[in-house]
Amino acid sequence: MSLSIRLTINGAPRDIALEDARVTLLDLLRERLALPGTKKGCDRGQCGACTVIVNGKRVNSCLTLAATLDGAQVTTIEGLATGDRLHPVQEAFIEQDGFQCGYCTPGQIMSAVGLIAEGRAGDDPERIREGMSGNICRCAAYHGITLAVQEATRRMAEAEKGDAA
Amino acid sequence: MSYLTPKSTEEALALLGQAGADVLAGGTDFFPSRGTRPQTRSILDLGQIDSLRGIEKTARGWRIGAMTTWSQIQRADLPPAFDALKRAAREVGSVQIQNRGTIAGNLCNASPAADGVPPLLALNAEVEIGSPGATRRVALSDFVTGVRRVALSPGELVLAVHVPSLPDDAVSHFLKLGSRRYLVISIAMTAAVLELDGPRIATARVAVGACSPVAQRLPGLEAALVGLTAAEVAALPVVPETHLAPLAPIADVRGSAAYRMRAVADLCRRTVIAAMTGGTTDE
Repeated sequence: MSLSIRLTINGAPRDIALEDARVTLLDLLRERLALPGTKKGCDRGQCGACTVIVNGKRVNSCLTLAATLDGAQVTTIEGLATGDRLHPVQEAFIEQDGFQCGYCTPGQIMSAVGLIAEGRAGDDPERIREGMSGNICRCAAYHGITLAVQEATRRMAEAEKGDAA
Repeated sequence: MSYLTPKSTEEALALLGQAGADVLAGGTDFFPSRGTRPQTRSILDLGQIDSLRGIEKTARGWRIGAMTTWSQIQRADLPPAFDALKRAAREVGSVQIQNRGTIAGNLCNASPAADGVPPLLALNAEVEIGSPGATRRVALSDFVTGVRRVALSPGELVLAVHVPSLPDDAVSHFLKLGSRRYLVISIAMTAAVLELDGPRIATARVAVGACSPVAQRLPGLEAALVGLTAAEVAALPVVPETHLAPLAPIADVRGSAAYRMRAVADLCRRTVIAAMTGGTTDE
């Protein structure tokens, strides 16, 4: 059996032939498309290390069969920066020390990008903790992660205001 | 094995009849529920059937399409009787899960700890089941028959969940007890849907999950609540054990049976009071 799907990954269209419908988006990204920034932690939807944005929504790529995504837009950690300019969430994670070992960080950052886009948490730390609860950090850098999301939320809101003015 | 992507429910039912495939909805439990067993049967992906998504008002209530996600339910414009369901939607795994996981997937997986089941039981929900050329409706309480068992025959598909109309001023609440605040499998959870007569309870429906193989309504407690004010519910010394008789909690890594019974008694009371005193949904 062969399936062909088209995905737009980090802005670039890709035609992909799948030999097997059981391939997850996570394995496709890491093993086939040379995008290993998305991490495999638990591979069962409990840790969030594999979080990517699909059609504007954050999802666990380990639970998403690639075959189901024909026509979808996918953004991974590799697609956030603009050239050498980091995304505001990436900058805030560095400034606020939102990590230690770094393994969960791509998932944390993609999840934070999704959370800010959802627009429901604002800079309320409790809402941020709830919204980020799908991303486990075994180093327990949660304090820095919460500060980073608050900081990025404010900065992105200001930038938007600046654009509007 | 093949991968099937029907574009309509008719096509899906025809394919299901021929192929005997495993149905894929949101997919959040598709691989995890298999453990180490490989997927060898064909996969029937419902993701391209638009008519299975979304919530609509009907003449007799509300119809929630089978593929409606928990995120969509949280954001839907629904009366306060659905606050319990919306709160439960916020507790289904993480936002990443809520963005993919569906209402029918939650029901069909039939986990004793499925967050969606107690609020839907308290809403008297019915499950709409399709087969080639026919549909039937089953009360949710008859649909989930055991741990990971539902009353679906081969070739049948859940198409929607129906919630009968309630008075506009009906209120509801949902509480989940876990070992930490977020991203937990329940130790116990309770949902209450109440119709009020001024400050007093006119009718009560209370359902408990994770304390029996299938979530249960508590008719004894529901009857005892009628006529009470929130203050009177708060002043009740204990929830009598006879009211909790439908429950049969197990002891597992999350809690002992005795702990679950103690916890759920108080959880019921807190849920009813919160429903009456307007626990807000923050949304």
